[in-house]
Amino acid sequence: MADTAFRKIDIDVYDEDVLQEEELVTADTRSPVQVLEDARQRQTAVRGALARSDVVGALNIVLENAPYGPDVEEAKTVTLQTLLTILNSTKSTEITPVVKGLSQDSQDTLMKYLYKGMGMPGWGDISGSVLLGWHEKLTEVAGTGCIVRTMTDRRSV
Amino acid sequence: MAPEVFNFAQTPITCHAFSADHKQIAVSLNSNDVRIFTRQGATWTPTETLSEHDKLVTSIDWAPNSNRIVTASQDRNAYVWQQTPDPQTGKLIWKPTLVLLRINRAATFVRWSPKEDKFAVASGARTIAICSFDPENNWWVAKHLKKPIRSTVLSVEWHPNNVLLASGSADMKARVFSAYIKEVDDKPAPTVWGSKLPFNTLCGEYASPAGGWVHAVGFSPSGDALAFASHDSSISIVYPSSSTVYNIRISSLPFVTLTWTAEDNIVAAGHDCQPVVFSGSESGWQTVGSLDDSTSGKAATAQAGLGGNSPVGRLNSTAFSTFRNADSRGQSGSNPLNDTKLLTVHQNTITSVRPYESKGSRVVKVSTSGVDGNLVIWDVDNVTASGGLTGRMAGLRM
Repeated sequence: MADTAFRKIDIDVYDEDVLQEEELVTADTRSPVQVLEDARQRQTAVRGALARSDVVGALNIVLENAPYGPDVEEAKTVTLQTLLTILNSTKSTEITPVVKGLSQDSQDTLMKYLYKGMGMPGWGDISGSVLLGWHEKLTEVAGTGCIVRTMTDRRSV
Repeated sequence: MAPEVFNFAQTPITCHAFSADHKQIAVSLNSNDVRIFTRQGATWTPTETLSEHDKLVTSIDWAPNSNRIVTASQDRNAYVWQQTPDPQTGKLIWKPTLVLLRINRAATFVRWSPKEDKFAVASGARTIAICSFDPENNWWVAKHLKKPIRSTVLSVEWHPNNVLLASGSADMKARVFSAYIKEVDDKPAPTVWGSKLPFNTLCGEYASPAGGWVHAVGFSPSGDALAFASHDSSISIVYPSSSTVYNIRISSLPFVTLTWTAEDNIVAAGHDCQPVVFSGSESGWQTVGSLDDSTSGKAATAQAGLGGNSPVGRLNSTAFSTFRNADSRGQSGSNPLNDTKLLTVHQNTITSVRPYESKGSRVVKVSTSGVDGNLVIWDVDNVTASGGLTGRMAGLRM
């Protein structure tokens, strides 16, 4: 068999002008501290919306200006936690109308969180079947294009 | 009228270019040879093979007026082919001229300028080589557009004024450059992209919201608008005069190629295997439908067992439903309807869409070539509002 070890050589270290990850993403203008504060405030706002059983409103709050990029890990965790609360408390029959009520931006961001959640089995109160249920309904509404955007977008949540 | 479908090979067609009279076509069948086919009635017969490249030929362009072919390849070379009489037999043969590209990575894309006195070669070396002829040495020399390209350039297209050049690249940006060559070009008139245009002026830089490689770029016929398709399953249309950018997200797989057919019409195609039509103006753009009428005829019968059209697009293929039936109903074995044929005319990714025939200023037919080895000629006005697209028409974003 041919030697394939050469494929694993990181040739970028020999390139003085290598393309950096941060060149491909427009950085968030907010400071990490501010992002975290925003995430906490949204958590409270979402609780309020859920108490009024306004699921679309709650999702819009949490998905708008979602934290992305480096140095905001805590804000990302808080946001994921908030989102999971919404997902877990929604009846499966309500999912389709809720997803249809979201903007394209929010649908794309929701898909990112679904994949993030599926990548962390057993973390917090992640339930695989809930996430898969949302994933199925969201794909029916937003199509495979939504999944492609999740995979393409470097603004990872 | 139904689209004309021609099968050239069981291998992918990497790219294609027609001669001016449409009687001949040059294709790269995923190899290092350029094959020329000549049309005889309803069939195409191979007539010539241009072999000079020693790696995959990535792009071909056939200049309609000067009847020259330019080819670009992963071997880092480009050749200009011209028909000249053979000194012994007097027979016309295609003679290659070397182009001094001076790039150290693959050449990925090539296009003649509208006046056919220059061409642009995109490459993996973060460079676009603008080539013009040097009669003293009888070869083509290149000047490089480098800044601020950060990654492989995937496509280029010339502005009708022969000076400006649009590029799409793997650093997620679509750009507009000046490719003004003093020896070749007259001073260009001011356009919406700028008035002072020395070589390598960056006139615009754009990205779609979710990023992704920019696979295809195209100027509108007037040159006042730019469209680009990126890997986030979206197409963007830029109007620099009012700094407006429209981004239409589609619900299916990304486009890799596009062409304007009129000032208000774009055809784009790619991984979803069907050409999709967009229309609009400076005040807004929307999806119109597909040139591929997947709901009629053969498709309708095949679709009966699938529970209707869904926005999932290509996922809803018979192959998918075979697995779904096996999974959810324990059905196995083959239903005669359950073959692996897609409902679209192209059976795999469309690699290139190009204008084929024009009436006045409007392109009325486009040609597409695909990974399935098929070449299809479509009637641009024969649009079907397909189920997978109409549900998601309102995708506009300022």
